[in-house]
Amino acid sequence: MKAVESATDERLAVEAAQRDPSRFAELYENNFERVYAYIARRVGNREEAQDLTAEVFHHALANIGRYEWRGVPFVGWLYRIAAHAIADRWHRVVREGQRGEDESATLEEIGVDDEIERRAMLFQLVDSLPPDQRLVITRRFVDQRSIREIAAELRRSEGAVKQLQFRALHTLRAHMRSRHG
Amino acid sequence: MASTSFYDQLDEKISKVIADPKWQPADSDGTNETDASMRELLAVASDLRMMPSAGFKTKLMADLVGTAAPQFVAPPESEESILPTLCGEGYDAYPVHRYSFAASVVLHGATLALMVWSGMWVAHNQREIKQQVVALVTDVSPYVLPPAKDQAGGGGGGGDRDKLAASRGAAPKFAHEQITPPAVVLRNDHPQLAVEPTVVGPPDIKLPSFPTTGDPMAKVFGPPSNGTGSNGGIGSGSGGGIGSGGGPGVGPGYGGGIGGGVYRVGGGVSAPRVLYSPDPEYSDEARKAKYQGSVVLWIVVGSDGRVRDIRVQRTLGLGLDEKAIEAVRKWKFEPAMKNGQPVAVQVNVEVNFRLY
Repeated sequence: MKAVESATDERLAVEAAQRDPSRFAELYENNFERVYAYIARRVGNREEAQDLTAEVFHHALANIGRYEWRGVPFVGWLYRIAAHAIADRWHRVVREGQRGEDESATLEEIGVDDEIERRAMLFQLVDSLPPDQRLVITRRFVDQRSIREIAAELRRSEGAVKQLQFRALHTLRAHMRSRHG
Repeated sequence: MASTSFYDQLDEKISKVIADPKWQPADSDGTNETDASMRELLAVASDLRMMPSAGFKTKLMADLVGTAAPQFVAPPESEESILPTLCGEGYDAYPVHRYSFAASVVLHGATLALMVWSGMWVAHNQREIKQQVVALVTDVSPYVLPPAKDQAGGGGGGGDRDKLAASRGAAPKFAHEQITPPAVVLRNDHPQLAVEPTVVGPPDIKLPSFPTTGDPMAKVFGPPSNGTGSNGGIGSGSGGGIGSGGGPGVGPGYGGGIGGGVYRVGGGVSAPRVLYSPDPEYSDEARKAKYQGSVVLWIVVGSDGRVRDIRVQRTLGLGLDEKAIEAVRKWKFEPAMKNGQPVAVQVNVEVNFRLY
């Protein structure tokens, strides 16, 4: 995950986005996986998680001008928007939602933990895989295709596809070890 | 390197993970090294179950870019967005400081005020400035006369060691050569070859006439005497001429011709060279009247290089003549030279007074 180098850099990025919306892309790139991982963990459904993620970023873009920097990471503001969106989606008022956009709320209070960070990093690492390995992972875990179906699409043997799947998982595990400990 | 059976086992358990999100590998699967590796890979696979669809991130980004413009088109109503730098907001992600703009305003204001003040000062003190400029452009070079056609200066003298001073009278004719020096008292009444006495000088020179021969510049009319000089001639000098000089000419000086004056530049006499020339001042009334012009002075530069006998040859008035004389009197020259010896010469000096 492309980490923000420092709080000062992130603050400058936020201020730039507040003046020029085209600069919002930098904030999006830095926080997309975190927001998606947070929502996906809460809703447990890919389609719903994607809808809510889109809703969160659209809301953030529309209201970036009202954001005030108070020393809290920008992603915390996005998490709070996501918590609101999830609560609205479920048609029930949760405690986090009642608290509103309280800047003092901690990330733990809105349900953010290390697992979300680990998954966010994993989702981004998939993009760094070789194309054939990335395709196998996408087909297998997102599209939920069988090894046979993937082998037919790639015109390879099932054994070769299984080997690509193993290599992809092995590479991801190695990167996760080096980055996440 | 994992074996084919390991790939198969891994995929079999991945299928279970995908089919049942709550499925967890059994504890018995982690009893050896191979199983531990399997558990780690399955943990990664479990996390991948919820990874976003391919292209979702890019598509959402495109949607956001499409909506970004209308979301932020409305500009703030204040002037800060028009000139954000002036108000400390700054462009892009880099804010500026308000005091930078204030300092810029102060500096520009100070520069403008300095320019206005200097312009007013120049206008108010124009006369003083002009006076200084005059001093710089004053022509300090001597007025160089054109070379003389004939040799000027010179002189002569003579006498026969009489006890009486030479008597006054007319000089004989001038000639280019002298055969017989002039005499008031003839010591030889019957010369074997009588030649008319002459003095050396331009033949066309006319001198005051007297009934008797003598020294034209003598103060006494008699008794007749050749004077106290020597080597023939008339006067107190020496050399067959008339007067107090030396040589066959007339008057003080040497070498023939008519002496008693100063040399002029030319004919073997070099021009004096200015060594020290303080600038003249502009008189108050001439400056007030914005009066300009030049003063020509007739001066004698002595053999010691000092200026004497200053006369105004072309006047200017309004006190500028006096100012010119006052300045030129202080000048020092390298004296004119004739035959390797410093001599006094007369030169004209033009002093210019200009207002700029």
